[in-house]
Amino acid sequence: MQELSLRMLENYLPILIFISITLVMGMGFFIVGYVLGPSKPDSEKMSPYECGFEAFEDARMKFDIRYYLVAILFIIFDLEIAFFFPWAVALREVGMVGFWAMMLFLGVLVIGFIYEWRKGALEWE
Amino acid sequence: MITQYIFYFFAALLIIAAGMVVTVRNPVHAALFLVLAFFSTSAVWLMLEAEFLAIVLILVYVGAVMVLFLFVVMMLDINLVPMREGFARFLPVGIIIALLMAIAMGSVFTAIYFNGAHLDVVTPTATDVNNSRELGKLLFTEYLYPFEIAGAILLVAIVAAISLTLRTGRSKKTQDPSAQVSVKRADRVRMVKMKSEKKSG
Amino acid sequence: MLSDIFQWIQGSILSPLVNLVVPELFQDEALLLLGILVKIVAILIPLLLSVAYITYAERKIIGYMQCRIGPNRVGFFGYKLLGLGQPIADAFKLIFKEIIIPSGANKTLFIIAPVLSFAPSIAAWAVIPFDDVSVLADINAGLLYILALTSLAVYGVIIAGWASNSKYAFLGAIRSAAQIISYEIAMGFALVCVLIAAGSLNLGEIIEAQSGSFLHWFWIPLFPVFLVYFISGVAETNRAPFDVAEGESEIVAGFHVEYGGMAFSIFFMAEYANMIMISVLTSIFFLGGWLSPLQGVPLLGSIPFLSDHGLIWLLMKTSLFLFCFLWFRATFPRYRYDQIMRLGWKVFLPITIVWIVIISIMVVAEIPPWFN
Repeated sequence: MQELSLRMLENYLPILIFISITLVMGMGFFIVGYVLGPSKPDSEKMSPYECGFEAFEDARMKFDIRYYLVAILFIIFDLEIAFFFPWAVALREVGMVGFWAMMLFLGVLVIGFIYEWRKGALEWE
Repeated sequence: MITQYIFYFFAALLIIAAGMVVTVRNPVHAALFLVLAFFSTSAVWLMLEAEFLAIVLILVYVGAVMVLFLFVVMMLDINLVPMREGFARFLPVGIIIALLMAIAMGSVFTAIYFNGAHLDVVTPTATDVNNSRELGKLLFTEYLYPFEIAGAILLVAIVAAISLTLRTGRSKKTQDPSAQVSVKRADRVRMVKMKSEKKSG
Repeated sequence: MLSDIFQWIQGSILSPLVNLVVPELFQDEALLLLGILVKIVAILIPLLLSVAYITYAERKIIGYMQCRIGPNRVGFFGYKLLGLGQPIADAFKLIFKEIIIPSGANKTLFIIAPVLSFAPSIAAWAVIPFDDVSVLADINAGLLYILALTSLAVYGVIIAGWASNSKYAFLGAIRSAAQIISYEIAMGFALVCVLIAAGSLNLGEIIEAQSGSFLHWFWIPLFPVFLVYFISGVAETNRAPFDVAEGESEIVAGFHVEYGGMAFSIFFMAEYANMIMISVLTSIFFLGGWLSPLQGVPLLGSIPFLSDHGLIWLLMKTSLFLFCFLWFRATFPRYRYDQIMRLGWKVFLPITIVWIVIISIMVVAEIPPWFN
């Protein structure tokens, strides 16, 4: 068990280090810019950009529910993709049974997709 | 040795992040701490050699579910005063639910099905097994039926999401991009050949 | 070749150094760690240099396409050298600019956002195979890792838009987030097709599965998917003609309107690093990565140097796609938002779903020359 964890570690340790380095690098760039750049704030400069107007209300507003629908559909399709991955890798081993099982799954997915399409969930105005 | 340190690091990170999710005031911060919690979980799963599941956790939960969370949370007014007004009123209900959850979680350690005795001890083979391929083989032989049920549940989810969010019957001013894209020059422009009408004078 | 250089560095620089400095007990670990660090630096420095010089290439190429000459003044040591010093000068300029944090902004998130968009765009390079042995982390689930990291790109955008507390930034962020996730679906399904064809999640094995000749590469059996993947990649990186997120003419610059100086350039670097990433991935998945196109060709395939596989081929294929990115920007007018969403959901998604069926039938039926 111990040595197996080590094997995983050997594979993923470089990734862990790499991700940490990229995070540090990103912060580093920011800090360099912050330290070397001038800093002369005034109230006009610090106000949010609004084409020369004063900002007259909070910028965080309600927006069209379609965006939520897109996000929900995205979750569902992302899950389907997650199911496809092990199938695609094992397709040569699981043979015809696996193939038809996935075709059935895909058929159900396509029914949902057609429903979406016909209902107009994919229309933008 | 090193593996243990890494495990403790991520376990601690997971607990801290999970704690922050429920204690932080700003809902956007809470959602982002939840993302951090998912990351640490994924790291812990990786150390259990659940390579596929660990990355799918990030792909599905961090990459998709939390994006929806953020969408919803960002739209909320972060005016917290009215949110805390009913706190005392809901406290008893909250305590009861918390107790029930504590009991349910505690029973994991005592119940017959959850004590782990009936589980095989996991003994990974020493050879370089491909995590995702093994999973695929199992999923499409032994667990075929649950897999199809999952497909059906996802279909239900699509239908439910659409019927909940889509409002029909409002005045629509839609453009039809497919019609617009398929327009040919001949549909719009008529070339007319005519003689010059310039007078000689 | 790359691995020879690395071996040499490890043998004649790192191990004497470790022997000298580190106590005996930890020498193995230190050597491992240093080796990883050397590899990471070897990836990062060329990557950041290419990011800098793609901005130059972009201005130069688009300039020539529009009958201008582009930047041609800034050079080194008094020589103009076609303006090759321009990116360096730009970098210095950006470093010395003021970073403005708007008064209404959420400070922590405002600072974290660029980092969150930068880190995944670079971290994805950990699993890219540069030739048959040179890869930083040769993990089994390489493709899955890539997909997971690209799905994180949306965070930088959303958080930047929300933290700025500016209307333009918020609108840009929401738009661009919806666009990114829509195209991620098409991209995911396209990758499933690649996966079915290759039968492995490991990027090295995906490339090996294409060996034979350039007719064995996946661009032939997966041709529609190849196009879908690359165009989705363009949309995913918010590049023209899919750049409504920044649409200068309507919402000024989208989610990073409030960012200036170095903070802006971090977003910028992330965008360009993503462009390179998409180009590399497209060449790995569909054009055989580091495989030589002359392999298996009757006469040319026997020329010793040209038929060798290696990094040079990967770089050439990548440059081809990078050029396409710039070419698109110079050529196409910007899409309207509803057209973008339609293309992602109603055109690309059906194509990829149909192609999943076709390619899996081809695999099951063992159609030569790809799947026998």
